[in-house]
Amino acid sequence: MTEKIDRETYSAARVRALEALLIEKGIITGETVDKVIEFFERDMGPFNGAKIVAKAWNDPMFKQRLLDDTPSAIAEMNLPRGMAGAEGEHMKAVANTPEVHNLIVCTMCSCYPWPVLGLPPYWFKDPTFRARAIREPRKVLHEFGLDIPASTRVDVWDTSAQIRWFVLPERPTGTEGWTEEQLAAIVTPEAMQGAAKVVVSVV
Amino acid sequence: MKLQHYLGGLEGLEQSIFEKRVFVQPWEERVFGIHVAMMALSNHLETMKAVPTQFKSFWSWGHLRKGAEGLNPFDYFTYRYYEKWLGGISEFFVESEYVASAELDSKTAAYLENPAIPLPQGGEAAIDNRVMEYLRVGDSPKCDVAIEPTFKVGDVVTVRNPLPVAHCKLPGYLRTKQGTVVEVYEGAYSYYFPTGDGVGDPMPIYNVKFDSHQIWGDLTEPQTWIYVQIFEAYLETQKL
Repeated sequence: MTEKIDRETYSAARVRALEALLIEKGIITGETVDKVIEFFERDMGPFNGAKIVAKAWNDPMFKQRLLDDTPSAIAEMNLPRGMAGAEGEHMKAVANTPEVHNLIVCTMCSCYPWPVLGLPPYWFKDPTFRARAIREPRKVLHEFGLDIPASTRVDVWDTSAQIRWFVLPERPTGTEGWTEEQLAAIVTPEAMQGAAKVVVSVV
Repeated sequence: MKLQHYLGGLEGLEQSIFEKRVFVQPWEERVFGIHVAMMALSNHLETMKAVPTQFKSFWSWGHLRKGAEGLNPFDYFTYRYYEKWLGGISEFFVESEYVASAELDSKTAAYLENPAIPLPQGGEAAIDNRVMEYLRVGDSPKCDVAIEPTFKVGDVVTVRNPLPVAHCKLPGYLRTKQGTVVEVYEGAYSYYFPTGDGVGDPMPIYNVKFDSHQIWGDLTEPQTWIYVQIFEAYLETQKL
């Protein structure tokens, strides 16, 4: 029977069956999973990281504090409660400059700073990325559309203990005088993992 | 060796897919939510004591990863990320006798027959409150114990090469390689359970810098440095 069933259709039925049984047995409630998903859509996502980056771009003193003591600097901001919560207990920011490009990878699993970046995208969890980014980051970034000049050093961060990293990208030219809100709108999750640069989109 | 631990640096792979979505199938977010709930309701958390859930087990990232690392390595690369989660978590609930295998199979068949059957409703609100509080508070591995770090910034260290265990926190490509300590993190960090290769009890962790050429020679790229945060148990003084 199963060989005729599409892999995704089967997984969808299987996970729904599991969730239904866990609700029936009083392990979780009928709303638990929805509430978890909603939390990442509404409270904890890359929109928090974008605000942090924007503030660092407009406030050099804050930027220095962010790089020196990431959790304390984040705690200064008016972000949702829980920035040091699950997968954000011990975060650290590293700054891209013309001399150094930082790329974050987790070769063993998919460690990711949830409160500032939300949940890890598919590419970050993809075994091919995890295998290759640590050895040939320039080639992988080129495939992602980002060319790192030969004169720029590449620092790759493999998160395999308890520290969760994110990248403070370079501020693009053409954004002089922008407000934090304007700046936050152009910061992408990819840029905060070092997989892209922040660009001013041509509208 | 265990192939899952040696992913970093693997040769012969195709181009990476720059897929920016978190969930590429709608069902994936359901298994993610179940895993988060299990971590939040795990019996190792002090705050769990009064929560009216029927979940009575210890569950953490470590347990989920151990399952994935315990797969046949060729199967590991056959399944997508959340497929591995679904397999591991379903197996855990069956093995721990929360759910009977036949029950899960028949319910799956029912949803295959009619995917529109609604999920059951209701349950104790305190369960959901606890799950949401876990997300905001987390489960910090940092321990309030005074442990003097063995290494200091600038020390050249050698990465140990312990025998493979069920779940490991040491990337395979680093074994036997030399690096330089660039940061000693404040405090001591535990892991959810002893892995059997030294990690578990509170210990210092370090940020160690490696020259990628020392690891891969000409198979890496110019001007590339690798920084890895490593538990002290995986490090020893440089062998001369």
